[in-house]
Amino acid sequence: MSRLEAKKPPLFISEPLTKDAVCQSLLLLSRIFKSSYGPAGRLKQLHNGVGGCVCTTSQSSALLRHLSVSNPVLRVLTASVQNHVSRCSDCGLFTAILCCSLIENFRSLNVAPCTVIKITRHLLSLCMDYLKSEACGCRVSVDFSSVETLVCLVRSVLTSKPACMLNQTEVEHLATLVLKAFLFTVPCHVETNAVLGKCVIIPVKGRRVMDSTVLPGLLIETPEIQLGKPLAVKRTGSNMIKIALFCVSMSGDSFSPEEGTIAVRHGISLEMSELNQLLNVGKQLVSDGVGLVVCQKVIHPSLKQYLKENHVMAVDRAGLSLMEPLSRMTGSKPIASIHSLSPGCYGSLKDVSIERVASKRFVHLIPGDTVICSLILCNRSETAWDELKRVCETAEHVLQLTMKEPLALLGGGCTETHLASYIRYKSSSLSTSTFQDLGCSQTQYQLVADGFCRSLESVARSLNHDGGEILTDMVYGHCWFVPSGLPPVSDWSDVVSKCGCGINGNTEDLSWRILEGQSCSPVIQGCPKEPSVKVTDFLTLDCFAAKCSGLQVAVETANLVLDLSYVIEDQN
Amino acid sequence: MAFRDVNARRHIGLQQLSSLASTGRAFLGPMKSHKFIVDETTNQSTLICSAVRLIESLDLTSAAGQLLNETIQAQNKEFKTGLSTLLFLVGAWSSAVVECLQQNVPVSAIVSVMSEGLNSCCERVQCLQISIHDVRKELCSSRVRPNAFECKACQVGCDSLLNPQDLLYFHKCISEPEVISISCCSHQEDDCHFKKGLVSPLVGFVSSASLVKPEGDRSSSVIPGSGVIASSCIKQKLTHSRHFRTLGKSHFSGQQGNFQEYLLKPSADPCECSDLGHLAMALSHGNQTDVKLLQSIVEYQQERAECRGSAQLNITEIVTCSLLGLPESYSCVSQGFVTLVSPEQAKVIKHFKDKSLQILLVDGDLTEQYRHLGFNRPHNVRTVLEHPNLEGGRAGDTWLSRMLDILVTFEVNLVLVKGSVCKNLLDRCTASRILVISPVPRDVLCAFGEVTGAQPVTYLSQLNPSCAGNGAQVELWEASDGRVMDLGELVPVRINVRGIPLLTAVLTTAVASKVQLLEDQFWTSVYRLHHALKDGKVFPGGGAVELLCLSHIQVLTEQPVRPAKAGKEFPSPWLDTPVAEYKSLVLQALASGWKRYLSVVMCNIAKAPSELEARALVDHHLKKAVDCGSPSAYILELFRRGDVLGGGSSPFADHGEGLKVYDNVAAKTEAWRRALDLVLLVLQTDAEIITGPKRNELLNSPVSSEFLFL
Repeated sequence: MSRLEAKKPPLFISEPLTKDAVCQSLLLLSRIFKSSYGPAGRLKQLHNGVGGCVCTTSQSSALLRHLSVSNPVLRVLTASVQNHVSRCSDCGLFTAILCCSLIENFRSLNVAPCTVIKITRHLLSLCMDYLKSEACGCRVSVDFSSVETLVCLVRSVLTSKPACMLNQTEVEHLATLVLKAFLFTVPCHVETNAVLGKCVIIPVKGRRVMDSTVLPGLLIETPEIQLGKPLAVKRTGSNMIKIALFCVSMSGDSFSPEEGTIAVRHGISLEMSELNQLLNVGKQLVSDGVGLVVCQKVIHPSLKQYLKENHVMAVDRAGLSLMEPLSRMTGSKPIASIHSLSPGCYGSLKDVSIERVASKRFVHLIPGDTVICSLILCNRSETAWDELKRVCETAEHVLQLTMKEPLALLGGGCTETHLASYIRYKSSSLSTSTFQDLGCSQTQYQLVADGFCRSLESVARSLNHDGGEILTDMVYGHCWFVPSGLPPVSDWSDVVSKCGCGINGNTEDLSWRILEGQSCSPVIQGCPKEPSVKVTDFLTLDCFAAKCSGLQVAVETANLVLDLSYVIEDQN
Repeated sequence: MAFRDVNARRHIGLQQLSSLASTGRAFLGPMKSHKFIVDETTNQSTLICSAVRLIESLDLTSAAGQLLNETIQAQNKEFKTGLSTLLFLVGAWSSAVVECLQQNVPVSAIVSVMSEGLNSCCERVQCLQISIHDVRKELCSSRVRPNAFECKACQVGCDSLLNPQDLLYFHKCISEPEVISISCCSHQEDDCHFKKGLVSPLVGFVSSASLVKPEGDRSSSVIPGSGVIASSCIKQKLTHSRHFRTLGKSHFSGQQGNFQEYLLKPSADPCECSDLGHLAMALSHGNQTDVKLLQSIVEYQQERAECRGSAQLNITEIVTCSLLGLPESYSCVSQGFVTLVSPEQAKVIKHFKDKSLQILLVDGDLTEQYRHLGFNRPHNVRTVLEHPNLEGGRAGDTWLSRMLDILVTFEVNLVLVKGSVCKNLLDRCTASRILVISPVPRDVLCAFGEVTGAQPVTYLSQLNPSCAGNGAQVELWEASDGRVMDLGELVPVRINVRGIPLLTAVLTTAVASKVQLLEDQFWTSVYRLHHALKDGKVFPGGGAVELLCLSHIQVLTEQPVRPAKAGKEFPSPWLDTPVAEYKSLVLQALASGWKRYLSVVMCNIAKAPSELEARALVDHHLKKAVDCGSPSAYILELFRRGDVLGGGSSPFADHGEGLKVYDNVAAKTEAWRRALDLVLLVLQTDAEIITGPKRNELLNSPVSSEFLFL
């Protein structure tokens, strides 16, 4: 018997951003993101507190997946960052930090939210126009005919997450592998619709990073396969192997329907009839000259035995994630029913071999010409492996995004400080008609623009975790780092070596100044310059598409949060 | 979500690591002290002697503990050795890092200097590596006399057991090892409890020991003076369990002929046998029983390898079988698969004498309900019985008789089953003189499949003539002296096929609590040799490598910090070289790990009375090494003379000519790297984020003030 309960009225919370609890949580969230940012970022241990596995990470995607945020205001923020990460993989923390700082900076301004929003939209458009223009001083074009810039991009992603526990040699090794894997996925013969292939990551935990490698084709783990025995696989006339790909279970239990009951007369075994059906499929496979059967799920041992006796290799439990690349690589259509086999669904393969990595055994499916490859990824501990896997996926994604838009932004905080000095310069030279169009005064505009620039600079400042000073120069507007523990100096040029992205050295007097969070910074004379030398080795580069998207998402989300005037909570 | 700040000046995670790791101190070096792990809720205790077993028994719910466990398990999975080194260095380095933090060294400086320093040291010590080829040559040419060691060991054992006063010591020593309590109540009674528990096996020892007629000159007894007895607690471990060696040996020589084809025996003089045996000995750091077993394995595998052309130790072709109730000297290696069966099954075996058997391999369970993995049992199938047949009997019976029919039709005598076997079927098979053995490991099935031609099946209904293999032989396993195995419920049997590559190491012991321990020790020895062959090189042991690391760190400390403007190899200034002041502090922290390692090893093997003196000794050698100009040459010379850390650092050093000790290359450097990685990973962590239901628990708990909640 159910009891009726009177409905509770919904809870109205007005001006949520003025509430203490919200501010506290926002500050904590911002602290988590800021402290995790960059190659020297601090790690977070995510665990359930009762002995479950520990995830050690400084990655926004992993952090956000585990954080359970109850406040609706914060949920808006985390949801849009997660959305950005799912589209671009990279620059998640950048987005989150920028968004938090924008909210913090604008909340304390004595300007109406709607005005702030209008001005920030204008500022955002200034930024985007600048970033997309040829004159942009903080971007480099990526030349796909050489690997140098690409390696820089990958290396920057790999070194940005310290929980991977990589040393210099390991970073170089992995950067090469990731790039190699990416190049495997680029089709050799481009037609009108070029589609990138896929790189499948094969986990090998507990081994040295240097044991990682890339292989063309796919690997399927098969513990029962015996090493040392030559593989007897039937081949077709053209010396290829005919392959049949099943995405339906062949374990012999598919007679069981989802619902309802089957009544069976005593003495009749459904299992036997199902097995006979499977053996019939086997007969047809043998007569069709198939040499290799791959099943996503389990193959009945009797069918396996039958196939083996007829020199057909059977590999089961390939898993769902391998089906799409398998079908693409071999040109076979996954067979979804054991009742009908059409000869058109078979694919072909150049070779099959046994590969042994650590204690695991794999069947290596080698195609003739492929855009599918496998990255065997090793790392010593489980928690570092998980982090490394996410990082490698990000790097792969960054390369794909860069292929679409062959540009990269200078990393290491330089893009942020450069953009901030550009906005400072630009906003001081706007015409009065702009203010009229925006419906604000010049002072209001200056206040918001300053908050905007300080937010950008606070992202760059978040790279520093160990004391020391962050500087910016008045010529290029880049970001410079002075380590802590140095004796005080009168001239900054004695202690700085190169800027955050590594493009500028300490060769000329760049009139450095400390990048401070609070006070209004002086405006530089003229637009920040573009570095004279454009490409060198060992630059820290960020993905252009991801950073642009992150900038937009951060500003839009901050605007949305600032605009919230009520939270209505259903209390039932 | 609950959020806790852990990166105060006193880093909680690092402190947890160092306190967890401190429990493993006694396992360092060749002389390990045993520990009792007592579970105070059940009053059960376990005897352990390795870092893995220790970690398994500790409460590791904290995040740092979990990560430590993960690290130890990963090293164990790959190497089975280097675990106590790993555990110790985790502790030493985390406390050294905490000291750095207290001196305000920034985290990024610690991380970059330490990881670079370790890399540099690992590169430096490569010059000490000795190729297996050279080692084998050297070991064969040098006159190695492990027998001296063995005799002495056995005398210590006999003496201490035959002399009532020593017996007292023995008792005292055994009950003295550190006791780690799992729960927190008082463990007074438990102490008594396991003292009681220990007396009984001890009585067993003495009564059997009285049968022994020890050979050799008793007057040259090497029992150390009473002043050293305290440390002989460690020695006991090495010796007391091997006091039957003389007995075993004399029987060996007497009855060698009878067992020639049965037991694989190492030659009496190690110099005659394979040089790999020497290597095994040098790597085993004093574990005599395992060395003998390993020698037999190596000989057998080498003989086969000559046909196959590989010089590696194949681990998948080795299994172990632990027999409780026989003294440890009965441990041996048998060809084929040795396992335990019930007395009823043993009766069946008597009928099989000298018969070539038809063998069947089953890679699942032998029960009616069993279905292969991935088969989902239908829940909605109802069987309708239209014409009740009262004579048909129960459904299970028909399955039983069907299975039995199949076995009989194919004339199968022997079934090896990977999973479990239905009791009724087992009984019916035994009654029909079919031997069904389970559980049998995968690798064993494969080995039998390879030589007999049998194809493993999942169901008996799959059986066809090509599935069964032929040529298997079964007999009762007998100890080397033909001693009757009265082990109570179970009887050891040996299943063999001519030409099978499979070997079973039969590990015998009279002490139940040592079963696991002996097995662990055996596998450690096997893996050490395996990895030495795989690496193709070894390190000189006895602290040589660590000493070179220490001298190399001195060199690194004196090197100037890289000039600021030439930092080409650093892609990011965010990871740039820290200032010189921090660098030397952090390098000292790195060095302190190895220094403490060496001094604790020296204490454990009683080469130094206290850690402080050991430290002074290490410093002394370090200075000499640095002063002589080429530390690596100096250290290699010390090693050649057989004593790296003065007074002989190897446990065999007292035997005149020191027996060389070697260490695994990859296992050692990987252990270092894993230890440092763990410490740095925890160091760089500034917050714990606790998710899931535990959050609400924390919110209402008294420690909630430590946490922030989102």
